[in-house]
Amino acid sequence: MASKEMVNPGNQPVWVNTDNCKACDICVSVCPSGVLGMRYESTSTLGAMISIDHPEACIGCNECELTCPDFAIYVADTKEYKAAGFSFAKLTDEAKERQAAIVANNYMSLDQQGVK
Amino acid sequence: MATREVISTGNELSAMAAVDAGCMFFGGYPLTPSSEVMHEISDLLPKVGGVAIQMEDEIGGICAVIGAAMTGVRALTATSGPGMSLKAENLGLAQMAEVPLVCVNVMRGGPSTGLPTRVSQGDILQSKNPSHGDYKSITLCAGSLAECYTETVRAFNLADRFMQPVIVLLDETIGHMHGKADLPTAEDVKAGIVPRKRFDGAPEDYFPYECEPDQPAVLNPMFEGYRYHFTGLHHDRKGFPTEEIETCRKLIQRLEDKVELHKDELESYEEFMMDDAEIMIIAYGSVSLAAKESIRHLRKEGIKAGLFRPITIWPSPAEKIKEHTDKIEKVLVVELNIGQYHSEIQRAAARLDIEGLFKVNGRPISPYEIVNKVKEL
Amino acid sequence: MAFNYDKYLRLEKMPTLWCWGCGDGVILKAFVRAVEKMGIPQDDICVVSGIGCSGRFSSYVDFNTVHTTHGRTVAYATGIKLACPTKHVICVAGDGDALAIGGNHTIHGCRRNIDITMIIINNFIYGLTNSQTSPTTPKGMWTVSQKSGNIDPTFDTCDLAIAAGASFVARESMLDPKKLEKIFIKAMEHKGFACLDILSNCHINLGRKNKMVSAMDNLKWIESITAPKKKYDAMTPEEQLNILPTGILKQDTEADEYCDMYAEVIKFHQGKRKAITQDDFAKKI
Repeated sequence: MASKEMVNPGNQPVWVNTDNCKACDICVSVCPSGVLGMRYESTSTLGAMISIDHPEACIGCNECELTCPDFAIYVADTKEYKAAGFSFAKLTDEAKERQAAIVANNYMSLDQQGVK
Repeated sequence: MATREVISTGNELSAMAAVDAGCMFFGGYPLTPSSEVMHEISDLLPKVGGVAIQMEDEIGGICAVIGAAMTGVRALTATSGPGMSLKAENLGLAQMAEVPLVCVNVMRGGPSTGLPTRVSQGDILQSKNPSHGDYKSITLCAGSLAECYTETVRAFNLADRFMQPVIVLLDETIGHMHGKADLPTAEDVKAGIVPRKRFDGAPEDYFPYECEPDQPAVLNPMFEGYRYHFTGLHHDRKGFPTEEIETCRKLIQRLEDKVELHKDELESYEEFMMDDAEIMIIAYGSVSLAAKESIRHLRKEGIKAGLFRPITIWPSPAEKIKEHTDKIEKVLVVELNIGQYHSEIQRAAARLDIEGLFKVNGRPISPYEIVNKVKEL
Repeated sequence: MAFNYDKYLRLEKMPTLWCWGCGDGVILKAFVRAVEKMGIPQDDICVVSGIGCSGRFSSYVDFNTVHTTHGRTVAYATGIKLACPTKHVICVAGDGDALAIGGNHTIHGCRRNIDITMIIINNFIYGLTNSQTSPTTPKGMWTVSQKSGNIDPTFDTCDLAIAAGASFVARESMLDPKKLEKIFIKAMEHKGFACLDILSNCHINLGRKNKMVSAMDNLKWIESITAPKKKYDAMTPEEQLNILPTGILKQDTEADEYCDMYAEVIKFHQGKRKAITQDDFAKKI
């Protein structure tokens, strides 16, 4: 029943289906932990594409998945993820600061410069 | 075939016919002179476990009926001219999505509010194309009390055969006429029901709108494991919106052809004293009763008149009409409008000298008016 | 694996035709999650949508789906529900669809209290047809049909539904998908007409000329005009003026449901009960 995009591509906490992403920035804006960011991508509709910059910081809150209008981002099922021997990160001050910087950078990843 | 005698009105007979034909849902709105259909069926349907609902407006009536019909039940709505105008858009959806239903239209004077309690046959052209766009309407017209019953039954069977709305035209005179009718028994009607086609294979192989270019869609009832999409948009074989050029063309062409290429299954007319007729009167609905009476008078005076009465109004029995008009010089169309069917007869006959006797003051045409007109010809 | 949305989606239709950041997708997702949580078989659900961006909702979900004419969702749903009273019938309509052209059907669906869940996706504008005024467009906002600023008064969807007799009325916004999911579950579990005013964004057609050019700007505005019911109740009338309360605003589990009442009509006609009289409703009048 499930398409390949929905299956965890290798025990990632969070992964994306770039075919569905329309680069609306919503997931980046709701992430508390500075995991996500947008990257310039000239072939994408709005010239940007979602990227997962800091998967190690993902706290598994699921906010990005729930607020994505386009079924483009997925978060691992907590039980399955733990059963596979992984765990989500704790929310750190460093992560919060990174998130604030990403928001201030117009939801672009911090290494992405220029006017959006 | 066994028959039974029933004393009733045209409106009530069409309600009775619907229930005998297996109708399980009625949705409508009060509209003179059709309201008695709702009055009658709101008693009859609950008896057999069906539902009759008076909706908040005419549009609600047809929408509820289409909704119910999508679940697989036979469904009826009844109205008159103003209601037909309001229902038009959704009749279009039923044409497009190929949802079968029956709509009884008891004609009254128009346009607009017109003459609500008086008779007219002003909805003939409307019933040909109630909604915008290309499709082929099926419209039947009852010419007697018994036909209010039999044509409603036939309408249900045709709706399921062609998967589209079928309009049954009554007029105020025949709808409110109270008298004796010889009807087929309910058992015979039941035995004659041909249910909708359905697909029995695996759901993943089911494409409701994938069919031969002259055949209607095969729509399984909702909630039975065959999930597909109903829409008024141009759609693909599974019912999903599409703008693909060939799919769009084929769809609309099929809506036309499914009726056009099977006209023989629809054709229905009555010929009264036509064998030796030198004058042909063409009339339908209640007017045909006056026409028959006038023909009896004319024959007594040695004038050989006959009546051709189309029962399936749309598509019209054009070939049969042409056959007669090629042989008979004097042709008179009598109707309660200013020549709505007259123009169709001219088209079918390819003649511009077809005479007409029209009346639009809300009163029926009397046999004497027809007699006098025929004598003038 | 993540939550299995694919089970309920028509994947070949993805990505949706909605604009980037459109709340319709969030609402769609919350709805699908609610259905999964309730464990309702896909064959037992019918989703009826109207015209507008919200009209496409039905073509993305793998249930029995109907895409009707403009404004007529409740009327179609009424026919479907009465013909199959045991099934779940969900209407999805936009603010223009449900409150302008289809206002009459919405009112009478509420009045009959027929067991239909109506999701009104309220984005305060006619989005699909490029920014015309809707019945919920705030006064003073730019619309393409009122470029000097909208002068048409707005009305409150929930007040309307309560006054018309819906037995479950709630408002949520797509800002909080978790709440959305919960409210969908409660509405679908409720027996009777459930009217949900779901506030959504249209930064493209509402926002572009009203200083909310991104989804986030539009969402911030929605946040600024809503308050949970408890907080709202504690406000002064002046403070309440431009605020819409969210949460469950009415829940009446005693109200007669229409299909149940019609079953009584059937019983009468089949000789199984006496005629329904005013006394049957004595307590309620």
